[in-house]
Amino acid sequence: MSSQISSQTTNNRISKIPTFCAMCGPGAGCGIYAIVEDGKFIRVEGMKESPLNKGRLCPKAHAAPQWVYSPQRLKYPLRRTGEKGEGKFEKITWDQALDIIASKLSEQKEKYGPESLAILSPARRSYSEYLYRFLMVHGSPNYGHSGICALQNAFSFAHTLGALMPFADYANSDLILIWGKQPVYSGSSKGGTRSLINAKERGARIFSIKPAMEPDAALADKWIPARPGTDAALALSMLNHVINNDLYDREFVNTYCYGFNELKKHILQYPPEWAEDITGIPARQIREIAGEYATTKKAAIDYGNGLEHARSASDAARSIAALIAITGHFDRPGGNVVMTGSEMPRPKSVHLRERYTKEWVDKLVAPEFPEQFQPFFEGTSSAYYRIFDSILTEEPYPIRTVIAPGTQPIVSNRGPKRVIEALGKLDFFVVIDVMQTAEMNFADIVIPVATPYEVDHPFEAGMNWIMAPNRVIEPLGDYKSMYEFWLDLGVGMGYGEDFWNGDINACMDDQLSPLKLTMEELRKHPTGIVYPMRPAKYEKYDMIFSTPSASLAQERFLPQRKIALYNTEFEKAGFSPMPEWHEPPESITGTPELLNDYPLIFSDFHTSRVYNAAWLRNIPVLREIMPYPSLQIHPGTAGERGIRDGDWVIVESPHGHIKLRAELMPGIRPDTVMALHGWWQGCDELGLAYYPLLDGGANTNIMYSVAKDKAFDPLVTAMASQTLVQVRKA
Amino acid sequence: MSEKEYYFSFDTNKCVLCHACETACKIHNNVETGCTWRKVKTIWYGEYPEISGVNLSISCMHCVDPECLKICPEQAITKNSEGIVSVDRDKCTGCGLCYKVCPVKAPQFGWDKKMQKCDFCFGRIEKGTAPVCVETCPGGAIGFEFADISNKIGSEKDMAEYFVIKKP
Repeated sequence: MSSQISSQTTNNRISKIPTFCAMCGPGAGCGIYAIVEDGKFIRVEGMKESPLNKGRLCPKAHAAPQWVYSPQRLKYPLRRTGEKGEGKFEKITWDQALDIIASKLSEQKEKYGPESLAILSPARRSYSEYLYRFLMVHGSPNYGHSGICALQNAFSFAHTLGALMPFADYANSDLILIWGKQPVYSGSSKGGTRSLINAKERGARIFSIKPAMEPDAALADKWIPARPGTDAALALSMLNHVINNDLYDREFVNTYCYGFNELKKHILQYPPEWAEDITGIPARQIREIAGEYATTKKAAIDYGNGLEHARSASDAARSIAALIAITGHFDRPGGNVVMTGSEMPRPKSVHLRERYTKEWVDKLVAPEFPEQFQPFFEGTSSAYYRIFDSILTEEPYPIRTVIAPGTQPIVSNRGPKRVIEALGKLDFFVVIDVMQTAEMNFADIVIPVATPYEVDHPFEAGMNWIMAPNRVIEPLGDYKSMYEFWLDLGVGMGYGEDFWNGDINACMDDQLSPLKLTMEELRKHPTGIVYPMRPAKYEKYDMIFSTPSASLAQERFLPQRKIALYNTEFEKAGFSPMPEWHEPPESITGTPELLNDYPLIFSDFHTSRVYNAAWLRNIPVLREIMPYPSLQIHPGTAGERGIRDGDWVIVESPHGHIKLRAELMPGIRPDTVMALHGWWQGCDELGLAYYPLLDGGANTNIMYSVAKDKAFDPLVTAMASQTLVQVRKA
Repeated sequence: MSEKEYYFSFDTNKCVLCHACETACKIHNNVETGCTWRKVKTIWYGEYPEISGVNLSISCMHCVDPECLKICPEQAITKNSEGIVSVDRDKCTGCGLCYKVCPVKAPQFGWDKKMQKCDFCFGRIEKGTAPVCVETCPGGAIGFEFADISNKIGSEKDMAEYFVIKKP
């Protein structure tokens, strides 16, 4: 059934279809009008009615037609006929593919137990809950989460402050510290950019903490170029300065914090002079930032994923949480606040959380968070990289089937050399995507799925906005949507009862039931339904401090009903009760013996102006803007090596080497070089070739240590993305 | 000549280098691969760590007194009464003189070697809609005005000055 709505038709050949953008996520997409001419999707316009983007759109949104019609789209299900990695496939039908997967999973369930299946979801996706549902019904807890995306911060914040992600109150703050975050490139039209610009116009001061001067730092009043991976050291020394100089909120600390005296003693070992060596930020400047943050009544910290890619990820988040608390900036106007939400009823979750048991958690092959804290907010999870590790070590048991829906383990995760080894040994590998992926040649079955422009589900819901999509064009090949795939596979496995017997409309209507709506009724609102926001309320401490965790016992995050400056639960589980400092696997202060051969710090960043993760390089309109994988390098550092802007360079770490194009950047630390991760695709239209996946290519992941004792944060399994390198002309 | 003309205004405090303007322009105007009618770049000032960056989005400025119009040997470039500068591609021979004299290097030459550039989205303007770069800009940095030419001259001067400071 096609449900095109041709509103505001300008002539017979052109229709303007209200729907939402599908070029990023996981949050709700920006409202768009898709313009279709003679049946072809040609461009998008912003939807002014959308409360999210208010008519604005980012570059990725405009690239949608080139993405949909890309020659690299997967159009038919494929079965591998050649050796793994060889790239020989035969076309099969959707039903054949489903049959093969269902019979393999049934066989393995019988032989090895259902937990032998892992499904990868490195980041939250609009279909994450469907993956959870399938795993739940099948009997496997092994949802593979990356260990580097949002949950690492959320876990640390929840167990310190009782709140998952206390937001920086941009609208009311007088001082905002943007810390390891890119507020611009990730969904620039969604509101982050506007909040930042409005705050600046209002006169709020902005400090930006990150190694390179990205656009937010360029707009900021102060740029604090901390070395990659050293955020925990910086935060600990800020705590030291605030506490030693009595700059904290004594009343708040006495009333609402647990373990302040222990913290006070603990942080004596972290003075700003100590942190200066590690972070590269002068002690004087650390004092200045800490002092200004503590003494500005309305001050907020906007923290991001940058903190999570480090050995000391949880230490950084816990220290920042402690800073927010002791300075009296928690859930107060202009500080870091817990959102009050909107009047919109939440759609029904399809997760089947009620079925979790202790045995379930015990079966995790590689718990992302310690078992006693699982399931966490998103559900149970195993660490993505360690799932691959289990295939090789068979510890505690080997995963037999990996399904990769919309994720590319070789290019989006650390340790690709070992991942390739594991893919070689894996029994059964299924890739599901709209586009050819980096590892699809290793797949036994490749499932193509529809772009959201080709289907009319699912609905999308933001905090106060819900909307049904409309089909823009008919599917271009023999495929269905990602959502229909999981319903069909559920039916194929004999789990039909739990999968609406394969009826996607029934699945949507079921989820909408709390809103007293059906998809058909929702679709009658072409630009969606906007619900009123609840008025902001501050200092909701009774509610926040008694928030139950999602773990089986549903204990409170905060057993003392106070902010856990000293964490008794972590201590009981064998972790440090207070944040500490751990060096990256290789660093200037941690491994000075390497500096002779590898004098520069290397790290990568994951958000980009025009790309998403390891995708979209094949889209010409985007690739023209950033045609080459580049190495951001200070002109002085480049000059010492005879490197000019645009020269190809070899970047070599103790673990591998990549080839990038030098981008001389005056706004980066001279001791640090950085690159965007996720490069592997070529772009036929621009005559740009594909890059090798390992040494000599542009895959930044091969550069890092994956040593178990050095490269991971033991509490939240965050993976370090820092190393030391040498750079030379290619 | 009218006292009022169309022009793009630009607020450097609101540009976040997202490139939405550039992409929107290309898709909406069907600009061929290899040509860009609008481009985004950063201009750096100072030395690390006392450094600052200014982000710019630059297209044809539809100058009040266009050098390109004056130098074009084929009289292919014209300016209408509302201040929009356009090129008659039938007359253009692709000599490139317009590019040489343009203060922001806006003229582009694609597969047919003829000049192409921003047309101020005049098709949209006629219908009362803003140029697509203005409409899409997440930060609200790009604006379009129909105002006194003295403002336009000031804006032209600012942009041209930024433009000559080359990236290292």
